[in-house]
Amino acid sequence: MVTQETDDLVFHKTCDLLKPYNKKNIALTMDTDIATELEIDSVAILDLIMEIEDIYGISIPMNLMADIRTIGNLVRAIHDLGGNK
Amino acid sequence: MGLLDKYSAFPERHKTILQGGHDPFNVTIDQVKSATEVVINGRDVIMAGSNNYLGLTFDPDCIEAGRQALATHGTGTTGSRIANGTYSGHQSLENNIAKMMGCASALVYPSGYQANLGVIAALAMKGDTILIDADCHACIYDGCLMSGATIVRFRHNSPEDLDRRLQNMDGEGSNKLIIVEGLYSMFGDIAPLKEFVEVKKKHGAFLYVDEAHSLGVFGDHGRGLAEQEGVSQDVDFIVGTFSKSLGSIGGFCVSNHAEFPYMKFTSRPYMFTASISPATIGTVNAAIEKIEKHPELREKLWSNAKRLHEGLQAAGLKLSAPASPIVSVEMSDEEHAIASWNRILNEGVYVNLAIPPGTPNSKSLLRSSISAAHTTAQIDQITAAFKKVLRPNPDSHIDAPQTGLVSATPE
Repeated sequence: MVTQETDDLVFHKTCDLLKPYNKKNIALTMDTDIATELEIDSVAILDLIMEIEDIYGISIPMNLMADIRTIGNLVRAIHDLGGNK
Repeated sequence: MGLLDKYSAFPERHKTILQGGHDPFNVTIDQVKSATEVVINGRDVIMAGSNNYLGLTFDPDCIEAGRQALATHGTGTTGSRIANGTYSGHQSLENNIAKMMGCASALVYPSGYQANLGVIAALAMKGDTILIDADCHACIYDGCLMSGATIVRFRHNSPEDLDRRLQNMDGEGSNKLIIVEGLYSMFGDIAPLKEFVEVKKKHGAFLYVDEAHSLGVFGDHGRGLAEQEGVSQDVDFIVGTFSKSLGSIGGFCVSNHAEFPYMKFTSRPYMFTASISPATIGTVNAAIEKIEKHPELREKLWSNAKRLHEGLQAAGLKLSAPASPIVSVEMSDEEHAIASWNRILNEGVYVNLAIPPGTPNSKSLLRSSISAAHTTAQIDQITAAFKKVLRPNPDSHIDAPQTGLVSATPE
């Protein structure tokens, strides 16, 4: 039986992927703004998304990027695309 | 956040970049002496960052064709193609580019940027899915956004990743358009087109190839990478530009699809902008003839490209890709890249500085683009400038175990 990964687990996996970009070592929460607080440039965010896509076997359309500002937004997008399995 | 607050960090970054001396993104060329020689700040400089692959910008026949068209048809058309801006020259240019590319029809745009914007947005719409290679040029991204289609990015040059993503979409029923480039402008690497064609066929998708940097560079007729790989007939849409190998300005798309010519009634960057000038038409038509009649230009281009590639490789610098007319040296970081770029310019050689986010994988590059018009002596001067400014750095480890090469840092 396929079990769904909890959003909490998705959050922790996402935080692990964000570690190399977290140069100021700020505390990551669901509300952390990926672009402004972590200062990740637009292309690097796309590369990060690709790593997440590989892990969950999903494609996150670029059209959704405008709505993904925080880590929480990203976790929700993964959930909605059925990736947290 | 205020309207202009997003620019608050710009002055500081620009100031940091200027500390190297020259402004790498605002170099002013005072005089152009030839396809490969310019004057910057009163000094003679070898141009090694122009995309002038066949060196046709000063070809006497191209200049004369432009001069004649200027005198005969005037300075500009002052109108769009669907109003008063279609001259017989525009029609003949579209016929010539279609014939040169071995395709049924062509549409011409005022720039390569607009060609991608116009064709992609006219092809796909909401409900369709566009799959783009991760390293595609900004204008491809912009065209995708303008189309309203769902945009999915796949790993650069990975037919496997494309296949997996298409597999996951099977049964969705939406039209699929795959977009890749022939020769990628930053690293100078080429697409595995045969493999992409296989994936396209497997999933019943359409394939779109941007040959901006590969036109005039690959193939027996200079049509680009699709020709060289023998897959021209399997590519649905080929886009190219007049501003690189053809030495002018403008862009085009060619296709064998019967519906394609009707895109002129829907493609907004075709319809709602002034058409290219008569002088431009003249020079491009003459340049097309040059590509057809002078394959030795391509041979000289490749001989130059290989010589530079070999020279830099022998110097222990880490290069982004196998030999091609785009030769990029990977730098350890942005700061070293900016400092080295300045020093190479001070040595009398202009190359392109490329830094994130304008580059894939957050790499900082010193990018050369080679021309058939470079003399062997100039290629050696470019190599010597790199060698004088950069040295191999054994402590740097960017892919060093794989390639045996090392990335560059300033002395």
